[in-house]
Amino acid sequence: MSDANLLATEHDDFAQLVRRALRNRSFLVGLCITLAIVAIALVSFVWTPYDVTKLVISDRLKAPSLDHWFGTDHFGRDIVSMIMEGARNSIAVAFVAVAIGIIIGVPVGCLAAAKQGIIDEALMRGSDIIFAFPALLSAVMITAIFGPGALNAIIAIGIFNIPVFARVARGAALSIWPREFILAARASGKTDARITLEHVLPNIANLLLVQGTIQFSLGILAEAGLSYVGLGAQPPNPSWGRMLSEAQTMIAIAPQMAIAPGVAIIVTVLGLNLLGDGLRDVLDPKLRGDR
Amino acid sequence: MSKHTILKITGLDLDIGDKSILRDINLTVHAGTVHAIVGESGSGKSMTALATMRLLPNGAKPSGEIQFQGRNLLEASEPDMCVLRGDDIGMVFQEPMTALNPVKTIGEQVAEGIRWHEGASRMDANDRARRLLDRVGLPEKKFALTRYPHELSGGQRQRVVIAIACALKPKLLIADEPTTALDVVLQKQILDLLRSLVEEDGMGLILISHDLGVVADMADNITVLRNGLIQESGKAVDVLHYQSHRYTRQLAEASTHVPAWANRKAASGETPLLVLDKATKDYPGRRTGLFSKSAPFRAVDAVSFSVTAGRSVGLVGRSGCGKSTLARMILALDQPTSGAISLHGIDTATARGPQMESLRRDMQVVFQDPYGSFNPRRTVEWIISEPLHTLPDAPSRLERRERVLEALHEVGMTKDALSRYPHEFSGGQRQRLAIARAIITRPKLIVADEPVSALDVSIRAQILDLFATLNDHLKIAFLFITHDLAVARAITHEVMVMDEGKIVEHGPAGEVLRHPETAAARALVDAAPDLQRTIATRLAAAN
Amino acid sequence: MLAYAARRLTAVLITLLAASLIVFAVLQIVPGDPARLMLGINATQDAVENLRQQLRLDDPLHIRYLTWLADMARGDFGNSYTYSVPVRELINERIMVSVPLALMALFLSTCVAIPVGIFTASRHGTATDTATMAVTQFGIAIPNFWFALLLVYIFAITLRWVPAGGFPGWQAGAGPAVQSLILPSIALALPQAAILSRITRSALLDTLREDYIRTARAKGLPAGRVLWHHALRNALIPVLTILGLQFAFLLAGTIIIENVFYLPGLGRLVFQAIQQLDLIVVQSVVTLLVAAVITVNFLVDLAYAWADPRLRSQKR
Repeated sequence: MSDANLLATEHDDFAQLVRRALRNRSFLVGLCITLAIVAIALVSFVWTPYDVTKLVISDRLKAPSLDHWFGTDHFGRDIVSMIMEGARNSIAVAFVAVAIGIIIGVPVGCLAAAKQGIIDEALMRGSDIIFAFPALLSAVMITAIFGPGALNAIIAIGIFNIPVFARVARGAALSIWPREFILAARASGKTDARITLEHVLPNIANLLLVQGTIQFSLGILAEAGLSYVGLGAQPPNPSWGRMLSEAQTMIAIAPQMAIAPGVAIIVTVLGLNLLGDGLRDVLDPKLRGDR
Repeated sequence: MSKHTILKITGLDLDIGDKSILRDINLTVHAGTVHAIVGESGSGKSMTALATMRLLPNGAKPSGEIQFQGRNLLEASEPDMCVLRGDDIGMVFQEPMTALNPVKTIGEQVAEGIRWHEGASRMDANDRARRLLDRVGLPEKKFALTRYPHELSGGQRQRVVIAIACALKPKLLIADEPTTALDVVLQKQILDLLRSLVEEDGMGLILISHDLGVVADMADNITVLRNGLIQESGKAVDVLHYQSHRYTRQLAEASTHVPAWANRKAASGETPLLVLDKATKDYPGRRTGLFSKSAPFRAVDAVSFSVTAGRSVGLVGRSGCGKSTLARMILALDQPTSGAISLHGIDTATARGPQMESLRRDMQVVFQDPYGSFNPRRTVEWIISEPLHTLPDAPSRLERRERVLEALHEVGMTKDALSRYPHEFSGGQRQRLAIARAIITRPKLIVADEPVSALDVSIRAQILDLFATLNDHLKIAFLFITHDLAVARAITHEVMVMDEGKIVEHGPAGEVLRHPETAAARALVDAAPDLQRTIATRLAAAN
Repeated sequence: MLAYAARRLTAVLITLLAASLIVFAVLQIVPGDPARLMLGINATQDAVENLRQQLRLDDPLHIRYLTWLADMARGDFGNSYTYSVPVRELINERIMVSVPLALMALFLSTCVAIPVGIFTASRHGTATDTATMAVTQFGIAIPNFWFALLLVYIFAITLRWVPAGGFPGWQAGAGPAVQSLILPSIALALPQAAILSRITRSALLDTLREDYIRTARAKGLPAGRVLWHHALRNALIPVLTILGLQFAFLLAGTIIIENVFYLPGLGRLVFQAIQQLDLIVVQSVVTLLVAAVITVNFLVDLAYAWADPRLRSQKR
C-alpha cells in the first residue's frame, strides 16, 4: 500500500479540495450515508416511531406494513425504532473506540518516531503485545471479571485501536523525519516536541483521518459481533448485533427480523468505507482510480 | 568503422493528454557511434527514448516515424516490440538504486533476458550472465550470480543494469542519464564502460544527458532539445566548439559559469569562526548475531580545520566519503564521538540554552533538494521566519514580516510570495526561498549541502551568482559541500578534499583543483567532466 | 536467515511472556474473592476454601504467576470448576473443531482472494475490474455472523441441504465432520477474501509502478510474464502482513461463528465459561488464543524473510 503518497503531498487550497470532493462519487455517496446514519441516531434521542421499551405482545412478529415498516420482533417491538436506537449505540461505541485509539496511539507513535532507538523499540514491542489481543478476547476477559455491558465493547475495541494508530502514526512520522524541512527545523533549534506538532502532525493528518474512518467502520462491525455474542450492549438498550442474535432464534418462523439489522450494519460500514476511500482520493489525487 | 544507419526518427510528435511533449523530432543514429540528446528538465529527452522503446506512460500519443531495421516501431505490435526489446534494443535508466528487482539475484536478472529471447538452458544462460558480469567489471570473486541487488552499491548496480541491457549485443543501446545519480569518479567508470561496449560491439548508443561536459567527451553527434523542440543538431565537436546556436551557447556558458564576485580575492581573515579539532564520528557496528556486533564504522576520522569569517570554503569528495555526516555534526544535529567543534569559541556539543540559541542563529543551512526542504503545508512567510524563534526576544508579527520581506528582497524575490505555498514555485525559486530562510537571522556561517546539484544549469548559474552577492554584501562565510568541482571552482576561496572520513588535501581553490597532490583528489579532478578542456583535446586530435 | 529467525524467536518469547502476564494480571483484578465469585454466594465456606487452595490464592502473586506458567509449560492448565475435568481435556476436544474451521476459512479465502486480486490488477481499469471491486466493497461490509445466518436460512432451512448446525464429531468419520464445517468456513472466509483481494490488487498495482518493472519490460518480457515473475513476489510482502493480521480476526470470527452453528469449539467453551464464571477456563483459552496469534505472526515474519532477501541479510 503506498500510503506514503498521502504524506506531505503538496498543499492544496481548500477550494481545490472541495472541488475534487464534489467530483468524487465514492466520497459523496459515503458522506451522505454516514451523515444519514448519524442523523438517524441523533433523531432517535428525541423521537422514534414507537417506544422500544414497551413490549406489545399482541403485535409480535408482524410482517412489514405501513405501521411497522420492517415489522415487529418477538416482543412486538417496532424494528424501525430499534434500528434507530441501535444506530446510536453502534456509532457511540465505534466513535469512542476510535477516539481512544487516536488519543493514546498517535502520541505513542509520534514519540517512537521522534526518539528512535530504545524508546521506539520498547513502545513498538508493547504495541505488538497489545496487538495479540483481538477485541473479542479483551472483551471476553473484561466480561469475565466485570460482567457484560456496553462499556466492555468500547474498552475492548478501543484497546485494539491503540496499537493500530500507534503503528500508522509511527510509520508515517518515520517517513517525514528524514525530510530536509525537518532537518532545517532542527538546525534552527526547535525541540522534537515542537517539530512533531508543527511539522510532523500536519503532514500525517490525512493518513490518520483515513485510518480513522477505516477503524470506525471496523468498530461498527466489531461492536455488532460483540453484542451478538452477548459481550456488548445489554437489554433493554437495543443494538444491531443483539437484534441479530434474537433474530437467530426466530429465523425459521420470522426471517424478516434478521434482515433489517443486517442491512443497517452493511449500509453503515459500506458508507464509512466509501467515505474513507473517497477521502484518500480527495486528499491525494495521485492515487485516484487505483484502489 | 561501419556507418550504416540503425535508427532514424522522422517527424516524431508526442502528446500526453492535451499537452504537447515533443514536436517534429528528427534524428539518426549510426552503428558504432554515440548520439547524445542534451536538454534541461522538461525538454522531452527521456520521452524520446521511451517512445523508441514503446514504453511510454499511459495516455501518450506518439505520431511520426521511428525506423529501426526497416520497420516503423510506432506501428509494431506489442509482441513484436517484446522481441526487439532486450534483444536488439537495450535500455539503461537513471536511477540504479531502484532499477533492479530486490527479490531476485543479479544472476537471475541478467540471465532472464537471454533465456527468454534465445531459449537458452539455465546453465548456458548462467554461463553467459557470468561472462557479462565479468565484462562490466563485476568479477566472480566478489560478485557471484547469487548476490542480491541490495548487497551492491549504486555504481555496481548500474553495471548490472548495463549487463542486462547489453546481454544480447543489441544494435542500439539507450542510456537515459545513466550517471546522474552517481559521483564523478563512478560516472567516469560507467561512461568508459559504455564507450568500450560501443567500440567493441559496434552498437549505436543514444546517450541522454543534461551535462554538456559528459556529452563533449562521449558523443559523435548531438541533438540539443528544449521544450520538446530540436534547437540544434550536428557533429558534437562542431556544435560544442562553435556554439553557433544561441541556446547551445547559453547552456555552455551556464555550465561553466563563474559569478562576478568582488570578494573573490579577499585575503583570509584573522579570526577563526568555525573550528574543528579532531572531530570524529563512529557509527555503532551492525548487529551480526544475537550477541555479536561488527566493528564500529568510522564515518568521520579526526577532521581538523577552521573557517575564518567571510570565507567561502568548499568540501569536495565522493559519495559516502563522510562529508554529509561532517555537515550534520557542524550543524549540531549530530554529536561527534570525539574531538570538538566550536563556533565563535562556543562548543557545539555542550552548548545549552541561550548559548545554543546564539549558535543556531549564527549558523544556518541550505539543502540540496529544493522540493523536500519545505514543509508543504506552511506558507512561505511561516517557513522563512522559522529560524527567528532563536531570537532572545520573540519579534512581533510586524517585525517578523519586515524581516521576511527583507530576506526575500535580498534573494531577489517579491512580497507576493509571502502567503503562497512552496509548490507554487519553481526549483530555482525554491532554492532562493531556502537561502532567504538561511539568511533571515543574519548568520555568520551558512552550510550548503549540494545546494545547486538538483538544478538545471541555467538556474544553477543564477543561484551561484546569488551566493556570490551574499558573500559580498553580508560577509557570510560559506561551507559548500559538493561533489561538483565546477561549483567549487566558481564560488570558493579554499577547497578541502575528503576521502574515507579524512581531509586529505586543503588549500586555495585554484591550487588544489589545478594541481591535486593526493590520489583521491587527483581521481576527482581527472574524472570531472570539463567542457572546454575536452573540446580542445578533441579538436587537437582531429587535426 | 537463521540468525534472523533466532532473533525473531527471542522477541516472540518475550512477547508471549508479556502477554501471559497481562492475561494473568487482568484476571487478578477480580473484585473481591475470586473463589467466592466463581462459586456464588450460596457456596459453603469449605468449598470456597477448597477452591482457594486449588487456585493457590493464598500464595503471593508472583509465585502464583510462576507456578501457573510452569504448569502451563507442562501442559497442565488446571481443572475446570464447572466441568470438574482438567481444562486440558476440554481444550483438546474443542480445539479439534476450532482449528480445522479456521484453517478451512483461511484456505478458502486465500484461494479465492489471490487469484481475484491478480486477475483484477491485470485488467486494471476495465469494467470487470470495477465490478469486482464493487462486489468486494460489499464483502467487506457484511458481518460474517449475519452472512452465516443468511446461509443457514437458505441452505439449511429453505433448501434443507445441510443441517442448520451442530457437529457430529470426528469419530463418525471425516466426511460428515467436514460437511458440517463447510457453511461456517464459507461465512468466515467471505469478508476476509474481500479484504485480501483488494490488498492483493492494490499491492500489485503499486509494484507495477516500480522502476524495476520498467527494467524487466525493457528486457523484452511481455506484460504477463513481468506480472508473474517480477511483480507478484514483491507484492506478496504486504499481502503477507495482512494475512498475519487476518488470522487474529479469523480466530475471533471463529468464536462468533461457532455460536451461529452451535459448534462445540473453543468459542462455545469460553462463552459457557463466562456465564458460569469459570475463570480457569477463560484464562486458559484466552492465553492459548493469544499465543496462537503471536505464533502466527512469527510465522508471517519468517515468510517475510523468505519473500524479501533484504530482510534475510538485515543485520539490525
